[in-house]
Amino acid sequence: MRWGMVINLAKCMRCHACVAACRVEHFLPLHVTWAKLIAHEVDEGGVVDVSTYPVRCNHCADPPCVHACPTEASYRREDGIVMIDSDKCIGCRYCVIACPYQNRTFLSKDKDPGYFPGYAKTGFERKGRKLYPHQVGTTEKCNFCVERIDAGMAKGRRPGIDRDATPACVNTCQARALTFGDLDDPESEVSKLIRKYNGFQLRAEYGTDPSVYYIDYRIGGAPSNKAPEHARTGYNMKHASTVDRDAARRLGRSTVKGEAKQ
Amino acid sequence: MERRFMVDRKVIRTTCKSCHGGCGVLATVEDGVIVHIQGNPDSLTRGTMCSKGLSSIQHIDNPYRIHYPMKRIGEKGEGRWGRISWDEALDTIAGRMKAAIEQHGPSTIAISQGTGRGYNRYTHRLARSIGTGNIITPGYVCHSPRLGLYGLVTGYGRLYCDYHGWGGEFPKTQIMWAKQLEISSADSEMAVWFINSLEYCKNLIIIDPRASAYASRATLWIQPRPGTDCALALGMMNVIIEEELWDREFVGDWTFGFDELRERVRDFTPQKVSDLCWIPREHVIDAARMFAVDTPGCIQVGSSLERQANCGHTLRAITCLLGLTGNVERPGSMVSWVLPETGLIEDFFLELPLTEEMRSRIIGIEKYKMGAARTCNPDTMVKAINSGNAPIEVWFSVGGQQLVHMANTKEVFEAIKKVEFLVHVDLFMGPMAEAADIVLPAAHWLELDDVYDMHPRFMIEAHNKVVDPPGEAKSDAWIFNEVGRRVAPQHWFESVEDMLDYQVRKGSDGTMTWKQFSERLVSGCWGEDQVYYKYKTDYWKEGGGFPTPTGKFEFASKHLESLGYDPLPVFREPGESPNSTPELFKEYPLVLSSGFRQPFYFLGQYRNIPWLRSYMEYPMVQIHPETAAEYGVEDGDIIWIESPRGRIRQKLRAFPGIKKGVVMATANCFYPEEPARTFHGLFISNPNVLTSNNHLDPMYGSPDLTCLLCRVYRASDQDLKENVFHTEQFGTVPTVEQMAPAERMTRQAQ
Repeated sequence: MRWGMVINLAKCMRCHACVAACRVEHFLPLHVTWAKLIAHEVDEGGVVDVSTYPVRCNHCADPPCVHACPTEASYRREDGIVMIDSDKCIGCRYCVIACPYQNRTFLSKDKDPGYFPGYAKTGFERKGRKLYPHQVGTTEKCNFCVERIDAGMAKGRRPGIDRDATPACVNTCQARALTFGDLDDPESEVSKLIRKYNGFQLRAEYGTDPSVYYIDYRIGGAPSNKAPEHARTGYNMKHASTVDRDAARRLGRSTVKGEAKQ
Repeated sequence: MERRFMVDRKVIRTTCKSCHGGCGVLATVEDGVIVHIQGNPDSLTRGTMCSKGLSSIQHIDNPYRIHYPMKRIGEKGEGRWGRISWDEALDTIAGRMKAAIEQHGPSTIAISQGTGRGYNRYTHRLARSIGTGNIITPGYVCHSPRLGLYGLVTGYGRLYCDYHGWGGEFPKTQIMWAKQLEISSADSEMAVWFINSLEYCKNLIIIDPRASAYASRATLWIQPRPGTDCALALGMMNVIIEEELWDREFVGDWTFGFDELRERVRDFTPQKVSDLCWIPREHVIDAARMFAVDTPGCIQVGSSLERQANCGHTLRAITCLLGLTGNVERPGSMVSWVLPETGLIEDFFLELPLTEEMRSRIIGIEKYKMGAARTCNPDTMVKAINSGNAPIEVWFSVGGQQLVHMANTKEVFEAIKKVEFLVHVDLFMGPMAEAADIVLPAAHWLELDDVYDMHPRFMIEAHNKVVDPPGEAKSDAWIFNEVGRRVAPQHWFESVEDMLDYQVRKGSDGTMTWKQFSERLVSGCWGEDQVYYKYKTDYWKEGGGFPTPTGKFEFASKHLESLGYDPLPVFREPGESPNSTPELFKEYPLVLSSGFRQPFYFLGQYRNIPWLRSYMEYPMVQIHPETAAEYGVEDGDIIWIESPRGRIRQKLRAFPGIKKGVVMATANCFYPEEPARTFHGLFISNPNVLTSNNHLDPMYGSPDLTCLLCRVYRASDQDLKENVFHTEQFGTVPTVEQMAPAERMTRQAQ
């Protein structure tokens, strides 16, 4: 099993929701950001390419940060998630330099001045310090919401399929540009997307074998505009639809549904 | 002993209102503190949320929030306030309103609102209940024109893009016209629905001078010169008619005025449109063919089109394009939604009539017969105030920043300073609050109970209170009800709960209460309950047809004709453009637009939310690298943007995705952290310092906010030494002085 993510550049519209969801999920201090966006805006011979690359820890199969760590604070779990044990981290920042993707952040005191510098910490911040401690003087990064994955799997939920075992950024994405799942399972959604759209890793030539893949394609060209049931708005709703009585009468309807379906 | 470890943890289901809103929310509260927020999977938005909604957490315990009712004790802009009680504030406001009604008539009271927070039906009900039609809304530059002009065809139901697949089909061809629905959603449609439907789309056509991720991947991306969209629509119709691609059945059976339309678009050849819009002629032809052949299709228009002084006819032309291609009421096209059992929540104000007397005193009604029919024309009002003829005695303002969003900031500023008595209701101090006599503290959507509704689409939802508001802040519903009760008690309610019961009463056989609705969370009409082809039923007209004077879809509008307007769409250049003012163009050689949005701000809001401000510290202006080089400015420079009205500074982003010769400035910006005396940096970067209020749309009175002329140059080091950016970090806290009873404002006019 190897958890991974596929990011669809044809859907990402730079809304920053993944960044915000990550901040909420991990009670991130004011100047710490785990999930980031890189803007790519070029004109190549008259062809304009405006893209946004959401980046976060790549959870590499061969992670330079882990090799660089002198205390074994950085380590790779069996499921492929690269972690930092803040009790072992001595804040040497070798890993920050070793990561070729610059996805690690050293938490210095000045990065945590409170959300409103000069004012009292908010209730969310105070609670957050207890629920999700951030150790000043250590290094941090995206952990694929490992706490959601572990707690979810313990309840029998499937990461990438069930929300409560899936990273927060994936859940919140309005464009559904992020897909999470097991790269080792050829039938997982992530594996299928990588095959179908020729998924690529950032800077594959570094040889770190990231677990985050990117796909891209042109929009349009759909072979059919027929709407399958599961794609229709409201299909997921427990609550039943209802019609205004007056409208129903004018439409020649005899009955009106009014009760919520449980 | 174990009690220590017990926490009171609950999840509250509510509805986001960070933009026009509507996304389902799950907020987790632990011991009275929100510790988590995420989308509600059991909602029409399927558990997704954007950065604005998620960052709402930073509205809670935000030190810059207004906590108490305050009255100004210094000069306007001095930033000195005295805390007063709610009773004193409300009695003073009611006293001033009653005095104005007695001495000058109710029409001298103006009620204004912004775009957010969902107070639409309350502002209108308050105004109508006290007898004034002088409501000031940003509607005339955002959404009202399309509602009114679509309404000429479909009545009150309007037209929305069918991204839902309920009729079995998604749109085959989609046109995104001056709109990035993916980031600026919820004018009635939502990003999540649109993006989902793209999976089934054959042609995506994006019409925007500026690239987005979707534009650079679309089937066709057209970059017209800002302000020429009407010509493009007329050109597309020219191609469709010349090539005989129109929908024979729909046009033949259900439309009126086809021959006149054919005559009207005859001149708009692809070559002419190419010259006017600065686009290749092939783009006009390709777009026309795709939209007419690959049906069904829909057109999502953006409010940039409504911030132009030809907006009425631009939208008329787009409406005709829909009719010509039969893209009306067909699954996957443009549809007028059937309402849910709770009915139209706007009935809450529509039930109070706008009387002839009220209507006759609406400022601007004699000229702007479409726009100033239910609300006043704000630009005309500003001119009237400044000419010394004071039509407004009391101005009750909630949420909106007229000082920011209206054209010609200098004139608006002068006018608002002259207003005798101004009340502003808001969460934070901003330009309008600094100009007010009384400021009232409003609650955030996480802190209140209310019915969510923006535009009448197919659903309403519940805002359920998650935490208490700070200090003495109150929900807008409460504030409106309390003011209403004091001035026009017959139209208002004992309590907010009574008022909410009244609004949802039509649900479940007329017996639904707010409490039941709050639990149920949503009332909507979707799936198989939605009905297409309403003109073939009795829905609009007994025996079928459209709710128009001719009973047909009118290419030539009888209603517009009766008001003295051209019944067919007409292209008109913007007030200032390379073609309409060639002399001015020599001095100001760039086309300026302020039409684009950031996904993390909602108009003037959220620059004081740290997480959101981190995404863009200073307002950004985009210019093509070649244009920038031509004018000696570089990426990252702070540059001056100048028009005949003045100049502003923004930070330059050299962007290859923008049309050459066009300058795209960030709109709606002020700096919450700048001090009161500068009205929170009102004049530093706000593009409306540059816009004109002299050239307005004949139907709607909308000014050219997204198409004018400018020049740009680098700000000198000396310019940057002025203290223009940053005093505090995210806002200012007003100086509040505890008032002794004797010093309190004498209550005027009991």
